[in-house]
Amino acid sequence: MHFITGGAFNGKRAWVKNRYKVQSDDQWLSAYVNNPLPLIIMEIDQDVFILEGAELWLRALTENYDADKCREIWNECLENWLTWEKERQNRQLIVIGTDITKGIVPMEAENRLWRDVTGWAYQDIAAKSEKVDVIWYGVHQTIK
Amino acid sequence: MAHISSLIFITGGVRSGKSSFAERKAIEIAGETGGRLNYLATGVATDAEMKARIEKHQRDRESGKYRWNTIERSVQMGEVTDNFTAQDIILLDCVTTLLNNELFLSETVWDGAFLEKVKENIITGITAIKNQAGTVIVVSNEVLNEPLLGNELVFTYGRLLGQIHQYLVKEADQAFLVEAGIPIVMKGVGR
Repeated sequence: MHFITGGAFNGKRAWVKNRYKVQSDDQWLSAYVNNPLPLIIMEIDQDVFILEGAELWLRALTENYDADKCREIWNECLENWLTWEKERQNRQLIVIGTDITKGIVPMEAENRLWRDVTGWAYQDIAAKSEKVDVIWYGVHQTIK
Repeated sequence: MAHISSLIFITGGVRSGKSSFAERKAIEIAGETGGRLNYLATGVATDAEMKARIEKHQRDRESGKYRWNTIERSVQMGEVTDNFTAQDIILLDCVTTLLNNELFLSETVWDGAFLEKVKENIITGITAIKNQAGTVIVVSNEVLNEPLLGNELVFTYGRLLGQIHQYLVKEADQAFLVEAGIPIVMKGVGR
C-alpha cells in the first residue's frame, strides 16, 4: 500500500497518474464523485488500483460514529485492502488523502471531530503502508 | 545579449520567517551579481493602520544597510516589466495578496472565464518579470492544508492558488518551504 498525502490542489492526482502510468478509469475509485468508502475491494480485477479522497470517506464516518468506532472501521478497511493487495503478486494499492489538519481549530464540534479522526486515520494508514509520499505543488517527498 | 534569469519560489505558514528568508536570499544574490534590489509591493492600503504599516516597511527597506527600490503594484504585474533589466533582483511578496487583489478589486462576477483570466494574469505577469529581470523571488503562503469544503469562495480561491503554486514550482529553479524559520529545499540546490 502506498499512501499519498499533501494539501488541497497540490497535484496529488496528477503525480499518482504519472508515477503509476494509470491508463484507465477502472483503476480509480474516487470519493469526489460520491463513491462510498469501499469496505471490501476483492472484486476489483486490476494490478494497480487507486482510492482517492480518503478525507471525505472519513468525514462520512464521523457523521455516523464516534471517533473510536470510525477508527475501528477504518482499520478494518485497511486490513481488507491489504488482503486484496497480497492476493496477487505485483498488486499495488494507492490511497490518496488530502491533508486537512493544519488550519485553525474549527468552531464546530463536527469539524473538530472530522479533523481529529482524519489525523489519526492517516497515522494508521501510514503505519500500515510500505511507502508514504507527501506531494507539495507537484514535488514529492518520500517520508516512508 | 541573452541572459539567464532565474525564479525562486518560497512558501511557509504565517510568521514562519519566509519573508525574512526571501530578503536574505535576495541580498545574497545581489552580493554575488552586483544586481539592484527591488521590492514589488502588492499591498493595498485600505485603512490608516495598513497605510502606516506599509510606510514603515518602506522606510525600513530604504534606510537599511541594503537599499531597496520599491515598486507598488497591486494588479497586472506584467505591466511593470519595463522598469527592470537583467541586472535586477525582484522580490514579490506575496502571491496570496496578489490573488486577493485580482479577485476582489474588480467587482467582477466570478465565472469560469474571469477566474481563468485572473490565473493567467498572475502567471504571465510573473513570467514576464522573470524574463526581463535577472532573478525573481516569489513569496507565498501555505493555506491549503485545511478543509476547503462548505464555502465555495474559499474552495475557488484555494483551487486557483494551488494551480498557481504548482505552476510556479514547475517553472522555479529553486523552491523552498520555510518551517519555523528554517528553509527546507523542495527543488533545486542539489536536491
